Amino acid sequence: MEENDNKMNKTMTSPVGMSDVVLGCVMPYIHDPKDRDAVSLVCRRWYELDALTRKHITIALCYTTSPDRLRRRFQHLESLKLKGKPRAAMFNLIPEDWGGYVTPWVNEIAENFNCLKSLHFRRMIVKDSDLEVLARSRGKVLQVLKLDKCSGFSTDGLLHVGRSCRQLKTLFLEESLIVEKDGQWLHELAVNNSVMETLNFYMTDLVKVSFEDLELIARNCRNLASVKISDCEILDLVGFFPAAAVLEEFCGGSFNEQPDRYYAVSFPPKLCRLGLTYMGKNEMPIVFPFASLLKKLDLLYALLDTEDHCLLIQRCPNLEVLETRNVIGDRGLEVLARSCKRLKRLRIERGADEQGMEDEEGVVSQRGLMALAQGCLELEYLAVYVSDITNASLEYIGTYSKNLSDFRLVLLDREERITDLPLDNGVRALLRGCEKLRRFALYLRPGGLTDVGLSYIGQYSPNVRWMLLGYVGESDAGLLEFSKGCPSLQKLEMRGCCFSEHALAVTVMQLTSLRYLWVQGYRASQSGRDLLAMARPFWNIELIPARRVVMNDQVGEAVVVEHPAHILAYYSLAGPRTDFPETVIPLDPLVAA
Amino acid sequence: MSRATVELDFFGMEKESSCKSQFQRFLDRRRSFRGLQGAISKMNPELIKSVIASGLTNQGQENVNPIDSNKSFSVPSSPKEAQSLLPTLPVLSPVARATSEKGPETAPLTIFYKGTVSIFNVPRDKAESILKLAVEGSSKNAELTKSEVATPSSDQRQLLETLNGDLPIARKKSLQRFLDKRRERLTCASPYGCQSLRRYT
Repeated sequence: MEENDNKMNKTMTSPVGMSDVVLGCVMPYIHDPKDRDAVSLVCRRWYELDALTRKHITIALCYTTSPDRLRRRFQHLESLKLKGKPRAAMFNLIPEDWGGYVTPWVNEIAENFNCLKSLHFRRMIVKDSDLEVLARSRGKVLQVLKLDKCSGFSTDGLLHVGRSCRQLKTLFLEESLIVEKDGQWLHELAVNNSVMETLNFYMTDLVKVSFEDLELIARNCRNLASVKISDCEILDLVGFFPAAAVLEEFCGGSFNEQPDRYYAVSFPPKLCRLGLTYMGKNEMPIVFPFASLLKKLDLLYALLDTEDHCLLIQRCPNLEVLETRNVIGDRGLEVLARSCKRLKRLRIERGADEQGMEDEEGVVSQRGLMALAQGCLELEYLAVYVSDITNASLEYIGTYSKNLSDFRLVLLDREERITDLPLDNGVRALLRGCEKLRRFALYLRPGGLTDVGLSYIGQYSPNVRWMLLGYVGESDAGLLEFSKGCPSLQKLEMRGCCFSEHALAVTVMQLTSLRYLWVQGYRASQSGRDLLAMARPFWNIELIPARRVVMNDQVGEAVVVEHPAHILAYYSLAGPRTDFPETVIPLDPLVAA
Repeated sequence: MSRATVELDFFGMEKESSCKSQFQRFLDRRRSFRGLQGAISKMNPELIKSVIASGLTNQGQENVNPIDSNKSFSVPSSPKEAQSLLPTLPVLSPVARATSEKGPETAPLTIFYKGTVSIFNVPRDKAESILKLAVEGSSKNAELTKSEVATPSSDQRQLLETLNGDLPIARKKSLQRFLDKRRERLTCASPYGCQSLRRYT
């Protein structure tokens, strides 16, 4: 991403002092991308050395550059991460065929990237043919392959991977949408691979895998440390667990039999990261014997109520990462605050809305947040869906959570009355107190944050690089004040805003670091004309106009879902996309009506 | 044949009797303030079917409790009977699907409010306007009040207003899949559900 050919013309001739030999020794120790960016801008020689020695590149949006450009600069790359669809795709807001095809990248990798060992595609479209090309060309050297929330391929594509990638240490398929033909791919992996360390097909619907193949992998791969699978019956794994002697992480599985049958399951001795799908209150005790070893607990897909959470969490004093639904409740958070002093990451997701599906106690509010802030001082990441909130609780977070680098708060819309709105002062206190904050999300409702509050966000977030703002502010004035701040803001996502196209365009022009903008729910005009105020070189503007989508709901009935318009705008060195689907329309200043 | 009238307890006026099950009973919970139509579309369709079924079999009952506390919430009391009587959600469609379809036929719209019950026979577009009023009445800062929105055609404006006014909090795909699967498992757990899972609560 940090390619600026323009700047090359202004470089000086070689600087006084450091010889190339010295530089060549030092440079490989510089890893941080921002440092590398700075290094590459010193002079041509340093730029070239950086290009030769850079090991990893993350391209945050695959359309910001081209495979060709990447190859021209970083031909010796060892590790590449590419992201495609906007984050909103994880919430079913982006059309499936939006784009993000890996094919052009895979073809370039097959031809030219001879040192590439690690590949990570996130929210992209992958075809079986792409996997075949990859396996054929890079199979012998590929060590890490991550198809992360990808779609478009089947288990046939994975067959190629299983057969040809014998050096694969990491195969990550989590949450990908995969067409399942059979379980043969896992069998190929089991038979051909003896170095696997991380195997992940969690949250996929791959059910035709056989547990015998899992056992075989465990026996053959002496370094197998992390396994996350789909809904395979836990009792079928009685052979797998003893074979996986050094296993540290396990997620997935399923509980379909009588609870007492599970007490016979013995888990590997080093297991410290765990998430058991559909685990209920009666199966929970099987975790107790080693609960004190647990560093990471995933309860997102468990069937526990508030009391169950309390009983389990109090037995996990070494917990560093917890993910669960808001069924944990304020009471569960109080237990967490008392018991888990080492907690670094906490994610509380939104449970079911329907009455009776979750524990009535299962709501999180200011009470839980205040206890958490005071109790878990090492917190670095906090993402939470709350049903009620106050300014004071946010002030607590600002006071106590000094290590917080990532904070995300969503105010659920079930309760009509919220105790303490607007949250202007609380937000200010939080931003001022949490000096290390780099990522920030605030999703409220009309009245949740005034224009003054929105200006506080601009004023007090000097280091924040990514923001998601939902239903904040009252008018364009608030947004314009906001845009005068946020000096580090690179990526901005907004939803449910009252802002006009003109205000959005001006905001983009004022935010000095902004390279990516996504908005859904704004004062859209028919033509999108006012957005042209942000037209400029290298800035792509795309619209997904308002759509009505007919979907099948959970009972198979046709339901019309209305999707308001989106704006997506980003810097690109590759010009406008050439692979738009029908649902996406580029805004071209030369052509716009 | 008399038309089935479905009454929905939006404000949770009826407390059902408590009964133990794997998930504890809910208390008097408010629905999303965003609107009644949102409430309807968020209700479990199985629930709605069970209401219709019991509405059809219990003509005399005025306040049908939508949440049947004695059974698993996704299974009607006598499924075989209910299924033979079940049409496809007839009465709910004018109210639940607030699309731009307009028609002269009227359907009953029942409103529970602060202990009073009122039933109106309204055409579809009137029902939509009433719902819209309810939504606007409950939201404190309507997003479009202060704006000078460019004046598009009335169709487009209606679309814009509908779309800009109702942007529900989106749910993460992974969570949604889990919640759907969990609902299926609970359906199977009931005596009338599928036999393949021998899951005991």
